[in-house]
Amino acid sequence: MLSLFILAPLFLLFVLNLPLKPVNKACFWLAGVLLSAQILMALGHALCPWSLYPDKLGLFFVFNLVMDNLTLVMLLVIGIVSLVALFVGKSTIILEEQRFNFVSLVLACVIGMNAVVLVRDIFSLYIFIEITSIASFVLIALKKDKLAIEGTFKYLIMSAVATVFMLCAMAFLLLAAGDLSFAAVHSAFYNPANAGLLKCGAGLFLCGLLIKSGVAPFHGWVPDAYSSAPAGVSILLAGITTKVAGVYVLLRLFGSVFILNAQFQNILLFAGAFSIVMAALAALTQDDFKRMLAYSSISQVGYIILALGCGTPLAFAGAIFHFFNHAIFKSLLFVNAASLEKEFGSTNMNTLAGLGNKSPVTGFTSLIGALSTAGIPPFSGFWSKLIIILALFSAGRFVYGGIALLASILTLAYFLAFQRRVFFGKTESTLSSAGTSWALRFWEIALALITAASGAVFVLVHNNWVLPLKAIFW
Amino acid sequence: MTKELTLFLIILIPLTGVFILPLISRVSASLRNWFSFAAILLSAVFSFLLIPSIFKDGAVTVFKSLPFGFNLALTADSLAIFTAAVVSLISALIVLFSFDYISHYKHQDEYYPMVVLFLGAMMGLVFSANLILLYIFWEITAITSWRLIGFFREKEHVLRADKAFLVTVFGSLLMLMGFLRIYQETGSFDLFTIKEAVKLHPISNLTISLILAGILSKSATLPFHTWLPDAGVAPSPVTALLHAAVLVKIGVYVFARIFVATIPLNLPWQTIVAVIAGASALVSAGAALVDTDLKRIIAYSTVSQIGFIFLGFSLGNEIGVAGGVLYILMHGLAKAGLFLCAGIIEQNAKTKDVRHLGGLFSSMPITGISFLFCAFSVMAIPPFGGFFSKYMIISGTFQAGHRIIATVFLFGAFLTVLYLFRAFNLVFMGEKKSPSTVAGEGSRLMLACVAAFALLSLLGGIFIRFPSALALITAQKMLL
Repeated sequence: MLSLFILAPLFLLFVLNLPLKPVNKACFWLAGVLLSAQILMALGHALCPWSLYPDKLGLFFVFNLVMDNLTLVMLLVIGIVSLVALFVGKSTIILEEQRFNFVSLVLACVIGMNAVVLVRDIFSLYIFIEITSIASFVLIALKKDKLAIEGTFKYLIMSAVATVFMLCAMAFLLLAAGDLSFAAVHSAFYNPANAGLLKCGAGLFLCGLLIKSGVAPFHGWVPDAYSSAPAGVSILLAGITTKVAGVYVLLRLFGSVFILNAQFQNILLFAGAFSIVMAALAALTQDDFKRMLAYSSISQVGYIILALGCGTPLAFAGAIFHFFNHAIFKSLLFVNAASLEKEFGSTNMNTLAGLGNKSPVTGFTSLIGALSTAGIPPFSGFWSKLIIILALFSAGRFVYGGIALLASILTLAYFLAFQRRVFFGKTESTLSSAGTSWALRFWEIALALITAASGAVFVLVHNNWVLPLKAIFW
Repeated sequence: MTKELTLFLIILIPLTGVFILPLISRVSASLRNWFSFAAILLSAVFSFLLIPSIFKDGAVTVFKSLPFGFNLALTADSLAIFTAAVVSLISALIVLFSFDYISHYKHQDEYYPMVVLFLGAMMGLVFSANLILLYIFWEITAITSWRLIGFFREKEHVLRADKAFLVTVFGSLLMLMGFLRIYQETGSFDLFTIKEAVKLHPISNLTISLILAGILSKSATLPFHTWLPDAGVAPSPVTALLHAAVLVKIGVYVFARIFVATIPLNLPWQTIVAVIAGASALVSAGAALVDTDLKRIIAYSTVSQIGFIFLGFSLGNEIGVAGGVLYILMHGLAKAGLFLCAGIIEQNAKTKDVRHLGGLFSSMPITGISFLFCAFSVMAIPPFGGFFSKYMIISGTFQAGHRIIATVFLFGAFLTVLYLFRAFNLVFMGEKKSPSTVAGEGSRLMLACVAAFALLSLLGGIFIRFPSALALITAQKMLL
């Protein structure tokens, strides 16, 4: 059953590329159905534990796929964000050829991401990280203009460096453990013989993954890549691709494979706190909404890394909850950006003003996204940040907890500046709306509802999703 | 109807009304206005209905345990129900006033839901017995006040709205840190549990100062006071709501709730709070003496009067605390009246600069008298209500032995008289300055509202027996 998550998109990708006119025409809907099925399966897992059914298809693979609660949450987020990205792409990408390539590449990304969250050995993990990354390089460069190529190039170079780190790390780990499956590497950590090699391996892997997740000071590629990509691609990248390829792998490896010793903890805590503050300060100075969101994304990833560095089960649960929330509200904000771009032709905050009357849906939903990002109750971002900060305080990390808490004021400041410059003001008569698409409005409202609802029914979310997560780690 | 249900209704009527209002506003504008008024009035009515039983039989509590100690804990004790009744009554009158005041501006469809949400969040906050629940409602009021202050959407207005939002959120983040530290120290966010726990282990000073910072920022007390005068760019009913009914009262109320009723402050802290309050009262009274913008003068006056309330609550003796509780009522009534009068003047004379106003008494007699009555109450002239509350606080200060502080506050009270008379003279007395200031009265509904506030201030003083009895019982229960 589990291999369907990889084989079904692969099959669809294959079919789409056959020269069949009707299939090509319906490519968005076919991919949409596939991703909706993924969302439904993830949501319905509690009712019908399909992952327990025997998996004949798995015989094709040399690696084994395993399901746990973390994977389940990830599959859900991948489904939601990719679906949103797909349909935002549908209403913003105009050229027929680009549309078709876009769908194929999104499917390739989904294959990679689904596999990353399902596999249980480091080598396969590496392979699928690369598949995901390569698909996203092409996606960023989809428009083929100068900025897009520049953004892709930066990402490509940084990714290549990260790849080198990860390959070296695997060599060390293989030397020490003799096998790259999670279980083997984990048990090798309890053997004092190769402690140095293992620490080296884990450290190199950490470097590679910090680059991949775009944590400061390795964040240089993030703003360029996110802001130069087409709207649908920014959603996919910021919401999920870089998060799965970087942050999820960090969570998985340092949560349940490597042993998180005090040195790694300090590195992660520092990198997290530094990202939070530095990126929030940088976001304050941006004029372009998408660049601001990119910096905001770096800052929010900082919270997840910070929680990881804290190292307690509660902190991990908070990190994953924040991962989920971030995927939802950052996608929402990027849909808002797509909507602004489509309607007014720009995401530059200097040229936009007082749009609250002209596009109330975008204004209102972006406010919800912004407040959720800033951790203002009752939206979902508040709860995940609260859990993270509570975990930091419980672990005695008062300084980091305090930084994480007070950095919310910076987040709020740049989002208020955004609201003031774009929506909350007098309308300029020169701006005329080209008319927004109902599809974009639909996704804006849907994502805003998810972020508001998962904040409002926090207890349900906690009992059904967060609590089981705590059990995975140690 | 059980008391628990009534308690839920007080909170839920406005909070659910917010979601219905946008639908209603599509049908008819006047239906929307009356619906918002009704939502707030119902809250007020239910609060008043609960008063007798709670003062007689004690608090009503609703408790549901939730993970991490983020429990749904609501309690309606005498302090909560008294504040809720006062706040919802004042808000209802203010909403009634805004029917005519706001009728010719854009964005009314945003105004009414925001006001109702504001009041709903305030009701939720007043009854919260869990710190996280309290924090959630606290931040909702910050969001709504941000939207309301920037109502006119001028660039500068929105900047000031942002300032108010950022200052209060900064304070509340410090406060949240304090709350989390309380959780570390006592193992609970529930006020009842904390109350028992602190009897054994006192709360650390750092925690107290963090929470205090949040409270001071919300109540616009020195050194976080500058956002409040700046927020005067909002429509006048909104400023009235911010100053008299909801926003700044939140800080005072939470101070009473946490530092009087739950974690009693020790003597050094009492003195620190009293000194901060005294400095705040004097500095802002001085600012009110020299400012030329009518709404800013009244705003500084709020900062100054809030100092008195903090003093009352910090004393820890019965008469002082009772004075503080009574002050919430009296100051709310009088200050709402003053701001609404200022709103009428601003709208009809097209300016709020006192240098360009003058001689308005002949053309606006009812506004003038209402302004004067409300000013008398703030100045503490007997027999107006404000006299009794201020008297109780000063007498409590002497009783606690703080002679110097009491003298400082007496001087502050004297300054109050000065700046309010100055404002009244400049606006209503003297010669008419320019033809543009020949202004008529406001609409009947607006006049009725300001007159109601003026009369309530007077009646509250004449029939002081009833509110002061309630305040005394509240104080006794809080200090238990």
